Amino acid sequence: MLEARSRSARLVFQVLISLMVIPYAFPLFVMVQGSFSGQGWGNYKAVLSRPELPNFFRNSIIIAAATVAIVYLCTMCAAYAFAKLHIVGKEVIFWMLLACLTLPGAILLPSLFTTTIEVGIYNTYWAVILPLAALQIPFTVLFARTFVEGIPDDLIDAARIDGLNTLQIFRHVIVPLSLPMAATIIVLTFVQAWNEYLFPLVLLQDPSTQTITQLPQFFIGQFGQDQTKVLAAAVITAIPEVAVYLSLQRLFERGLAAGALK
Amino acid sequence: MAVTKPAAGPSRRQHHRVLQQGRGQRRSRGQRRYRVQRPGYAWVAPAVVISIGLLYFCLGDTAYTSTLQWDGVSPNPEHVGLRNYSELLHDPIFWRALRHCAVFLVITFTIQTSLGIAFAALLHSRIRLASLYKVIIFIPVVLAPSIMAPVFRLIFAADGQFNWVLRHIGLGFLAHPWLGDERTSLYVIMFIQVWEFTGLTFILYYGAMSQVDHSIIEAARLDGAGNFRTLVSIVLPIVKGTTVALLMLSVIGALKIFDIPQLVTLGGPNYSSEFLSTYIYRHSIPLARVGFGAAASMVLLVLAVGFSMIFARLGRRGGDR
Repeated sequence: MLEARSRSARLVFQVLISLMVIPYAFPLFVMVQGSFSGQGWGNYKAVLSRPELPNFFRNSIIIAAATVAIVYLCTMCAAYAFAKLHIVGKEVIFWMLLACLTLPGAILLPSLFTTTIEVGIYNTYWAVILPLAALQIPFTVLFARTFVEGIPDDLIDAARIDGLNTLQIFRHVIVPLSLPMAATIIVLTFVQAWNEYLFPLVLLQDPSTQTITQLPQFFIGQFGQDQTKVLAAAVITAIPEVAVYLSLQRLFERGLAAGALK
Repeated sequence: MAVTKPAAGPSRRQHHRVLQQGRGQRRSRGQRRYRVQRPGYAWVAPAVVISIGLLYFCLGDTAYTSTLQWDGVSPNPEHVGLRNYSELLHDPIFWRALRHCAVFLVITFTIQTSLGIAFAALLHSRIRLASLYKVIIFIPVVLAPSIMAPVFRLIFAADGQFNWVLRHIGLGFLAHPWLGDERTSLYVIMFIQVWEFTGLTFILYYGAMSQVDHSIIEAARLDGAGNFRTLVSIVLPIVKGTTVALLMLSVIGALKIFDIPQLVTLGGPNYSSEFLSTYIYRHSIPLARVGFGAAASMVLLVLAVGFSMIFARLGRRGGDR
């Protein structure tokens, strides 16, 4: 894009971008360095020996996996119907979904708080999974519908002539052909569910049901002003995210970029 | 300029397609009259029940709750009509929260966009270690803001690393408790948001720029345009679709932001970093004024829907051209 003819100009670019990247690396550096100050690995030992730690991870995995499963199933079925099946008032339903595309989660807060208590799912996984899925589905349906519409009708007609019914077409034509798009949806939904802070904060009260986003606050409660252990806890929660991102780099970048475009 | 055709970024194209769907459907049905479409109600039912059902129920419930004086659990809430709304409109902190959202939007959008473009342009220009830089910029996008919050609280504390850096580069006179000062707490929140978000703007611009036709750039260079001129006059108009999408995203982001102010400053000190979401949370949960929180939610709803309608219209106009 930019052009650097001489060697010194190229060096200027290299220095410039290195300087620009420093502020992005700095907090990560502080986090890791701070987690080793004081007792060194002892901080990690202290954090890892807390019996609650595995609970937080387990809860986050359950909530994120269930959200992904619900969102994926609902999205694929709905996208198939919107793109290829007959529904009276299709566009009305679709627009009702799209209207929720940009809903900030805080709007739902007062109502979710009172309703989940009333229904009796307060402090259970469902209290977080359902609103997370509900807020995610409008976007994923929009995204998936556009994709499924791109699958040629001839292919579906051919499958029908071969004797496949609607369900079999979904199973053997639509789902396999949508896999790359589905991967994007899954990564995006997983990251959003995994990183969600507001809903678990309000709807999960008990440490045995809380998610990893509550972990720093939990450890601040446990270790008080001992920042090094809080930082060690932050590193421990960050490592899986960074590791998964690094191993699925392209998928993450594509998925989060797609999500940003809503 | 004659080269605006490939300008439609993915967002606009996608949006355009959605908006065109109504029309497209009718046309294709005319062409293929022989085809009988199977009914698909059962297929949309799960999505409709979970998404439309839950969200519209919550919105209706919030609208009703906003007319109550209620702590959320007591069996007999008191009906107060629109009193919550009038109290809300007379609350100076509510207006401050709104103003913070607006200032936050303008500043973070400007900085994120400029940085995103700069990173994307530089990393498209044969830089060594480009993939390493890319990973460093993108990691903040992946990490949960709530996990990074304690780190930032430490960095911007009075004896934190930020002041340490300032002292070592000769700017020691600027050092002060950034989070404890009403005048700077909001800017710290903005800094964290930019830190979290630049990776995304960068990736979007990076993708958009890789679709720029190189012959156009070479032509500009032959005409004597320098790097800056090429970027501003050729590349920026081409990636305009991405910029519009990012503006929309920043508007929603400013209305939505909760994790960072809640965990880093608790909206303080003295409400100097209060946002709409933290305001709603504070009233609904810690202060147990669910009715009042619901009234604030309704205002947020109007803002969010209003802005998306404006952007939908902008997108449509752009698409028809």
